Amino acid sequence: MALALDTSQARRKRGFWTMARRDAATGYLFITPQLIGIIIFVLIPLGLVFWYSLHEWNVLAGSFRFTGAANYEKLLSDPALGEVMTVTAVFSAGLALLNMSLALGLALLLNQKLAFMTVFRTLFFSPVVVSLVAWTIVWSFLLQSNGGINGLLQMIGVEGPNWLRNPTTAMISVIVVQALKNVGLNMILFLAALQGVPRELFEAARVDGVPRFKQFYRITLPMISPTILLASIVTIVGALQVFAQIMILTQGGPGFSTTVLVYYLYQQAFQFYLFGYGSTLSIVLLVIVGALTFIQWQLRRKFVFYEN
Amino acid sequence: MKTELSPRAQALAYLTLCVLLIPFVFPTWWMVTSSVKPVSQIFAFPPDIWPRAFDFSSYSDVFKIQPFALQYWNSAYIAGIVTVGTMIVASMAGYAFARIKFPFANAIFMVVLVGLLIPSEVTLVPLFQLFLKWGMINTHWPLILVPIFGAPAVFATFIMRQFFISLPVELEEAARVDGLGRFKIFWTIALPLARPALAAVAIFTFLGSWNLYLEPIVFISSADKFTLPQALTQFTDAYGGPMWNIQLAAATMTAVPVLVVFIVAQKQFVEGLAHTGLKG
Amino acid sequence: MAPVTLKSVKKSYGVSDVVHGIDIDIADGEFVVLVGPSGCGKSTLLRMIAGLETITGGEISIGGRVVNELEPKDRDIAMVFQNYALYPHMTVARNMAFSLEHRGGSKAEIAERVSWAADILGLKPLLERFPRQLSGGQRQRVAMGRAIVRNPQVFLFDEPLSNLDAKLRVVMRGEIKGLHQRLGVTTVYVTHDQVEAMTMADKIVVMNAGRVEQFGAPLDLYDRPANPFVAGFIGSPAMNFIEGQLTPEGFAARGVMLPVPPGPATGDALYGIRPEHFELVSDGLPATVLLVEPMGSETQVTMTIGEHQVIGVFRERLRAQPGATIHVAPQLNAVHLFDAASGKRLN
Repeated sequence: MALALDTSQARRKRGFWTMARRDAATGYLFITPQLIGIIIFVLIPLGLVFWYSLHEWNVLAGSFRFTGAANYEKLLSDPALGEVMTVTAVFSAGLALLNMSLALGLALLLNQKLAFMTVFRTLFFSPVVVSLVAWTIVWSFLLQSNGGINGLLQMIGVEGPNWLRNPTTAMISVIVVQALKNVGLNMILFLAALQGVPRELFEAARVDGVPRFKQFYRITLPMISPTILLASIVTIVGALQVFAQIMILTQGGPGFSTTVLVYYLYQQAFQFYLFGYGSTLSIVLLVIVGALTFIQWQLRRKFVFYEN
Repeated sequence: MKTELSPRAQALAYLTLCVLLIPFVFPTWWMVTSSVKPVSQIFAFPPDIWPRAFDFSSYSDVFKIQPFALQYWNSAYIAGIVTVGTMIVASMAGYAFARIKFPFANAIFMVVLVGLLIPSEVTLVPLFQLFLKWGMINTHWPLILVPIFGAPAVFATFIMRQFFISLPVELEEAARVDGLGRFKIFWTIALPLARPALAAVAIFTFLGSWNLYLEPIVFISSADKFTLPQALTQFTDAYGGPMWNIQLAAATMTAVPVLVVFIVAQKQFVEGLAHTGLKG
Repeated sequence: MAPVTLKSVKKSYGVSDVVHGIDIDIADGEFVVLVGPSGCGKSTLLRMIAGLETITGGEISIGGRVVNELEPKDRDIAMVFQNYALYPHMTVARNMAFSLEHRGGSKAEIAERVSWAADILGLKPLLERFPRQLSGGQRQRVAMGRAIVRNPQVFLFDEPLSNLDAKLRVVMRGEIKGLHQRLGVTTVYVTHDQVEAMTMADKIVVMNAGRVEQFGAPLDLYDRPANPFVAGFIGSPAMNFIEGQLTPEGFAARGVMLPVPPGPATGDALYGIRPEHFELVSDGLPATVLLVEPMGSETQVTMTIGEHQVIGVFRERLRAQPGATIHVAPQLNAVHLFDAASGKRLN
């Protein structure tokens, strides 16, 4: 009895601030800057962008009035939007495909037991750390009709096109320039994944007499499939956000041939100052990225053979 | 797939690598060499891989046409503050989410993760409106506040959280028995051990800020407040045509320092990014 | 140095109880080992004594002071962790000094304590090294050094030897025991290894599923286990159990009648006999040999008596082929009888 009394007194003395509560308070203190930041700079703007999208808002004309779904109706009847969406899809898919296959190929090459692989790795990775705008400016310079690329082509007797002034070559150019810039990131990811595959698996396969190309399809690919899936989603979502390269290389042209969604959004909102319609386009971008993220979760469950 | 290759296969591998390497390194080479060529020769045919004559005048012209030194300083100090700020915010939040038990921790983490899923372009219009209201348009505040506290820091928080989760919990328990409170455990045990993760966070945060382009052109309008990516596109002549050699000189000055740091510290760079990428 | 008292200590996570009301009195200076299979709650109990886990119910006191609501640092304990938990970014000296630095105390004092501890553990030449530069045994010693510099009232060990190889484990076992004899500090030591428990403890607490099965001196547990769980857990190879009925003629098992010591009544029971308590005698029970494993110093024989498969360990070098018949007899004073229903010891 006396002991039980002791305990309750000890508790009362400590009062509200038990060990667990003090710790929890520290936890809240630690996350506060981030949480407040997310609320102010992400959640509130997210609510606002949806609210704005229900308004006709021309900053230059000074008009701001609630129009309900009018912007969404405008979206469906926007003659440019169809092309913008096609361009966005072609650009994103092309970029992801080129980036992923190049990255995987390079990773497989660099994973061989050869000398100087670190040097090659560093060089292939170097564009990642070159300032994005600087990289794009050089390519803009190289892709001029009298620029370095056509100069080199001419030396082997080929008349190069005016890369950035022709719809097809302009699209190819922006895809290639962007892929070369960032392929190093995926390459490093794949390389790390390849090196994470236990050697015993290949040794077992060799003992079992499995031919090399089958080892690739049956062992390597399944083992690194989580990395491939993750990288492809990150790459596609990244492709949807490409802006600087388009702005500097083609300004969306010629015509709408390289006007991706983000660039169109920028034009509508910050060149024509149509904030309402710009917000509607933001929602479109949000929906696309959300859908891709959702697909990723679904695929992860179904197609990834192995996850640690 | 690490197996010994035959000499022929080796030669083939090297050849493939060298050919593939051209588009990766040639542009950087061309940028540096063209910036020191006389204007008349930058479009010369056949192209000169090594400059026939050197002309460094474009490097001084960069500073005459724009307040380039000031713009350089703008980019550097913004990237510096953003890097340090993100490291502080992300390591604290990452630690709390990984280690401290508090009510609604998971729910709050989910809310924070929203920042990872939302492309920053989506919130650009409302952010512009908010900063306009606060009188921060054409200041550096948007370029500092949003990366440190907004969506970009969430990735950093995520990396830090993953790292702290992997840290043996016994270390902190030992510290508790040794008489340390939460703050001291965080400061003297967890944070010093998190150096690799912090380095990775610092690297990509710095690069992110250094390369930021869309946000500056939306938020900033006067040349003395420009950051480097924005300034690089402004070297145009009276007709709006680019002044290539000057632009390339400015681009070289922007890109080369980071490139040099990268080559010196390439191991930390590459491994740090591979590490974080895998976990992310 | 202080006694440690646990009074109906409970731990539950939500609705599931992991420790159900434990009472243990540990005398001042005693070396007590908590032993049991994994998941039995022994580590949780130790961590509650340390203050690393909250106590759901009951009371823990150290040196007569209730510590339920005290932080680990205020309990005057030191702990050695399974993976040593050495701070990787600090030298050995700094690792040992760290707790003292956070408790105040002059630099000279701290240096003196560290040097005293390093002397005892033979760590003097390693003081400026980092943990990663040490071998497993050296790390173990540093972890112990970190515990003893503080001169705490109680040492807590959480499976400290399980990361070492078998040979080193024996060496460190002796060192920990020696350290305890030298310093005389109350020690609570958790392990899943009954050999460690037997060799090191003054008293053993055998735990199972969040309960204390038995608390007593090692040889008491060996000689008079309170229930089949303790009987089976302590001793290697494990005790043989045979189901059957106690009758006035003996113990009726399937296909054999086993002799029993005089005393207990009749009814369903469990007959326990340790492998080392079989004797080879010509007038013994016939047993069919299944497997013979010579160990050098002894011979382990798997055999059937009646329809029951049992193991016997003999000092003799037995050269029986599988299928052969040998004659064995259980030592009557080493027979353990348990009630079949309650598991209570009958003799």
